[in-house]
Amino acid sequence: MDALVNKRVKQVLKGDKDAFAEIVDLYQHRLFQVCYRMLGNRHEAEDIAQEAFVRAFINIHTFDQKRKFSTWLYRIATNLCIDRIRKKKPDYFLDAEVKGTEGLNMYSQIAASDDLPEEELMKLELQDRIQYEISRLPDKYRTAIVLKYMEELSLQEISEILELPLGTVKTRIHRGREALRKQLSKQPHYL
Amino acid sequence: MNACPERIVHLMHDYLDGEISREHELELKSHLQSCFDCQAHMHELSDVVAFVKGAAHVEAPGYFTESVMARLPKEKSHAGFSR
Repeated sequence: MDALVNKRVKQVLKGDKDAFAEIVDLYQHRLFQVCYRMLGNRHEAEDIAQEAFVRAFINIHTFDQKRKFSTWLYRIATNLCIDRIRKKKPDYFLDAEVKGTEGLNMYSQIAASDDLPEEELMKLELQDRIQYEISRLPDKYRTAIVLKYMEELSLQEISEILELPLGTVKTRIHRGREALRKQLSKQPHYL
Repeated sequence: MNACPERIVHLMHDYLDGEISREHELELKSHLQSCFDCQAHMHELSDVVAFVKGAAHVEAPGYFTESVMARLPKEKSHAGFSR
C-alpha cells in the first residue's frame, strides 16, 4: 500500500490531480472517523476531513516520501480538529489551573458543568454514550485515546503523528483511561 | 487503595499497553490477588478499554472524494516545487 501511495504522490507532484482522488479514496474513512470521534458531529467531521485532504494536496511537496503517508495525513487532520475544538471553546486559557483547586483546570470545570443528569445518560444508546464520554475528555487525552482505540494505531505511530515523545503519549493514554474510568464509575450501569 | 504504591497503577497501565516485563507482570498479579481495591481498579480499567473499543466504525459519506476534489485549488501552482 505504501508503494502504491508513493507512486500516486509522485504523480500528484508531477501535476496529475486525478491521482490525488485515489489517495483520498484510500484514506477517506480513516480520516473521517478520526475527525468524527474528535469532533462528535458528522457535519463538522466531513468539513475538517475534507479540509485535511485539501491541505495535504496543497502541501504535498513537503511530504517526506521516506515516511508513512498515513502518519502525515493523520497529523494534519488531528491538528485541524484540535484547532476547531479550541475555537469552539470560550476564550480563557483552558489548561490553566483554577486558583485554589489543585489539579483542577478549566477542562474539569467544563466537563462538570456539562454533566448530563443520570436519567438522561441512561437513555443514551451505547454508541451515543461512547461518543459522549470521549467528547468529555480533555482534547490531549481524547486525541491519544481515539488514535489508540478507534484507529487502532501503535503507540509508536501515535508518537509520530502527534510529534511527541513516546513517554508523553503513554502518559496521555494512561490519563485518558483513568479519566474515563472516573467518568464511567459514576454510572455503575456501565462498569 | 491509598496505601498501595502508585507504582501498582503504573504497572496496570503498562499491562494494558502490552508493555510489561514478565517480572513486573508477576508483581502486579501477586498484588492484585491480595488487594481487593486494586483488583477493582484493574477491572474498571479493562472495562474502559472494552467500552471504548466498542465504538462502531464510521465511514465517510459516499460523495466524499468528489467533494474533496471540488475543493482543491483550481489551477495547481507548480511554482512552489519546480523552482
